[in-house]
Amino acid sequence: MPSEESVVRRAIEADSQAFAQLYDEHFDKIYRYIYLKVGDRGEAEDLTQQVFLKALEAIGRYKWRSIPFSAWLFRIARNQVIDYLRKRTRQMTMVLDERIVSDGTDPVVVTERRLEVQELLANLEKLSPAQREVIYLRFIAELPIAEVAKTLGKSEGAVKALQYNAVVALRKIFFREENE
Amino acid sequence: MSKKLEDIFGKCVSRMLQGESIESCLKDYPEEADGLKPLLQVAFTINKEASSLLSAPEFKARVLSQLQSAVSAKQRRPEKKVNFFGWQRRWALALTAVLVVLLTGAGTVAAASDSLPDETLYPVKLATERVRLTFALSDVSKAKLHTRLAERRAMEIAEMARQGKSDAIPELTQRLVKHLEKVSYAVESGEQVVDEGQLAVPKVVPSPAEVAAPGVKRGKGVRELKELLGESAPRSLTALENAYEQASQATKAALKYAIRESRRSYEKAMQETAPEPLEP
Repeated sequence: MPSEESVVRRAIEADSQAFAQLYDEHFDKIYRYIYLKVGDRGEAEDLTQQVFLKALEAIGRYKWRSIPFSAWLFRIARNQVIDYLRKRTRQMTMVLDERIVSDGTDPVVVTERRLEVQELLANLEKLSPAQREVIYLRFIAELPIAEVAKTLGKSEGAVKALQYNAVVALRKIFFREENE
Repeated sequence: MSKKLEDIFGKCVSRMLQGESIESCLKDYPEEADGLKPLLQVAFTINKEASSLLSAPEFKARVLSQLQSAVSAKQRRPEKKVNFFGWQRRWALALTAVLVVLLTGAGTVAAASDSLPDETLYPVKLATERVRLTFALSDVSKAKLHTRLAERRAMEIAEMARQGKSDAIPELTQRLVKHLEKVSYAVESGEQVVDEGQLAVPKVVPSPAEVAAPGVKRGKGVRELKELLGESAPRSLTALENAYEQASQATKAALKYAIRESRRSYEKAMQETAPEPLEP
């Protein structure tokens, strides 16, 4: 199996198979990351599409040595989301209500999962923005520590500390809720 | 101690994300197992819940198809390299224009002006546009021409949508956006806008008129540009929105992207000349 570096190099040379491979590998994570941040399936699809079109447009300028490919792609996604959220005027609480989960057809299962995801998102809102961003990139996008650090422009040590403190804070929130 | 815990926690999370069980990692750190286990369970829960979010498979396939069309278009049109001898390219374009007219005849150039991206004469249309941009001397003239070309791209998008050829829409949208970026750039920086694919190069030496009356001539040009943008933007957006109303479901997704990007780019270009946002 070719390394990601060689796939990226072929994609830079406009090899459509290589680009399709990168797309396949990163699409779900990018979509999930955007969906949880914007809370609307249609908008998440549009933004995901834009991320890949922008990536295609800019891939000629991508340099492997300066940043891993997934971190580069997530930077594009993050900027798209920031740009989108800046323009959006709707309230976050409204958005949370719109969030739905699409992995099942059984309405009971879908409703249960929706509630779980909503609860999780409501709890994530209680974290600091930096902690929340690390949680999104680490547990939702599943990026390695080094790539989260590159995406956010922070040191690996800082990301480890943010990750640890965020989970400790979430654990306290969950524990408090269980005892209420 | 805390730093050590952060490190171990980070390692266990990495292993968990690669499919290992929490217990398997905790076995390697028995002294910290009690403290780490509930935290790893929280991490596992977040990851598990997020993994259940999936996009519609048909959407994923549709975007891939659009991207592959865009990659194919890129293969046909390799990325232009910026070089120090940009001026040589301008002369080459001018020469090409003369050759195009001589070899194909003025009639061909005229016929190309109505061609669409999937037609043989479309490259002639684009070449003609590049030549016109080359001969537009001032930055404001170029910006006005870019405004007209952006509207032309919008009309092409609407027509391609009407014909159900959604594959061409993303690339046309990118072209439209690029035209408007150059408009914004011209207004915002007052630097020279150059031809598509090249970087803008600041004017090294201002003209005597600019030194004597800076901004006066430019101010009038920018007002004219503002008027042009004010007329062109609603025409383009209305054409796209009308196309959206009549489009098939498959074409609607591509058009939605085109409308959003066009609106954003027009807003940015107009904000440079006027603070008011576009009417919805």
